[in-house]
Amino acid sequence: MSKMKLNLGPQHPSTHGVLRLILDVDGEKILGCEPVIGYLHRGMEKMAEGMTYLQYLPTVDRVDYLSGFFNSFAFVSAVEKLLKIEVPERASIIRVLLMELNRIASHLLWLGTYLLDLGAVSPFFYTFRERELILNYFEKITGQRMMYNYFVFGGVRHDIEYLDEIPPIVKTIIEKLEDYEKLLTDNPIFLSRTKNTGVLTRGEALAYSITGPNLRASNSHLDFRTQSDLYKKFEFKIAKADEGDCYARYKVRLDEIRESAKIIYQAIDILQLRFGEINTGLKPLNLNIEAGEAFSDVETPRGLTTCCIKSDGSDKPYRVKWRTGSFYAVQLLPKLLIGNTLSDVMAIYGSLDVMLPEVDR
Amino acid sequence: MIKFFKSIKALLEGLFTVFKHLFKKSVTLQYPEERPNLPEKFRGGHTLSGCIGCGICQQVCPCRAINITKDNNQVVSYTINLRQCMFCGNCQYYCPVNAIKMEQNFELGTDSNDDLIKELVKENESGVDKQ
Repeated sequence: MSKMKLNLGPQHPSTHGVLRLILDVDGEKILGCEPVIGYLHRGMEKMAEGMTYLQYLPTVDRVDYLSGFFNSFAFVSAVEKLLKIEVPERASIIRVLLMELNRIASHLLWLGTYLLDLGAVSPFFYTFRERELILNYFEKITGQRMMYNYFVFGGVRHDIEYLDEIPPIVKTIIEKLEDYEKLLTDNPIFLSRTKNTGVLTRGEALAYSITGPNLRASNSHLDFRTQSDLYKKFEFKIAKADEGDCYARYKVRLDEIRESAKIIYQAIDILQLRFGEINTGLKPLNLNIEAGEAFSDVETPRGLTTCCIKSDGSDKPYRVKWRTGSFYAVQLLPKLLIGNTLSDVMAIYGSLDVMLPEVDR
Repeated sequence: MIKFFKSIKALLEGLFTVFKHLFKKSVTLQYPEERPNLPEKFRGGHTLSGCIGCGICQQVCPCRAINITKDNNQVVSYTINLRQCMFCGNCQYYCPVNAIKMEQNFELGTDSNDDLIKELVKENESGVDKQ
């Protein structure tokens, strides 16, 4: 067979965004891979320098549009550290509740699109149907389905409503998960596509700075939620698998949905019993932010997202730096793809749950 | 051999799960005929009443879509450029007198670009005699 270069993307439907892969192939076998990123670059970091903190806040949801609450939270909590204000307890529990619902929505979308990549069409419709329940709820309380702009500096915009609608939604989703498992967990086609493909060991994952479900599928316990003050009140297990292959990543994400559901039930119990302030009433036009640096981190569905802000005391940030989980997952591709066949490219790439808007920012 | 029968069982189980959906209610919305039931807080097209022209919305707008013209402390013109607006709702949230509101209207497409620059001050409401 003759060797050749194969250009995959940037408009390939399975890349979930625009990623270009330059593959060196020998017949079907992959000898080399070079990911080319930057097709979705919007200058989120540079844009911050020309906007005030209040103006920048709505745009933050677009860093990763499938998990808007997490990015909002990262930015808002960094600014709160600069402002040296405390968030009321009720507000922080509302934040946890919404973020965990968002995590379920994000994992459901991943499951649907991943199976679409592998050639199964019907699960795609089922997961989108369930995700719709969560998005409709978000629309009711925030006003929009994906670009929420609901967190403000010092709390949340409005008090949470329709709390009794959440348990039926979560219950439906957990029930439907069994349906998905019936379709997939023992399915011979799914197993042969995912088992023992794209194996990532724990050492390699840590060396490549991989975080989130991808790392936890490689026999690691690292979950930044356990180290955060926000989740101290909640009891949950860390979803984990040992094998490190595509199938392990699938299992970890499904388990994470179940663990998120536990956190949601606990959060609702607290919110129904305890009432209080939902924000600090801070509505000034010019926030008096002192010069300095602040850093915040949050465990998103795709790994660790951090936001670092440097302020020079003016009403605009001097510099905003984002660190997102997907950026590191793209770097893994040459490592995982070499030696596999062309048909495994999308099975491996899809299992990493890469969001291109998050990579390019 | 056991593996073979296990695979067949899993495939049949999967087919049965899909087959069940044939008898379930459809979830799609036939859009132009059926209208979506939008929530109260939905952020759609803007309306304005009782604006005092303080200009806070102009300052918090991330897209610089709002333009206010004043004459003798009266708001003569309040335009919102929907080509730039990202419907974040900052103007609504930070308005001190709740003058600007975002309504349930979401069908904002027009034939020409100029129609997307909406003038929100109605002629009879502006304090200045336009003649």
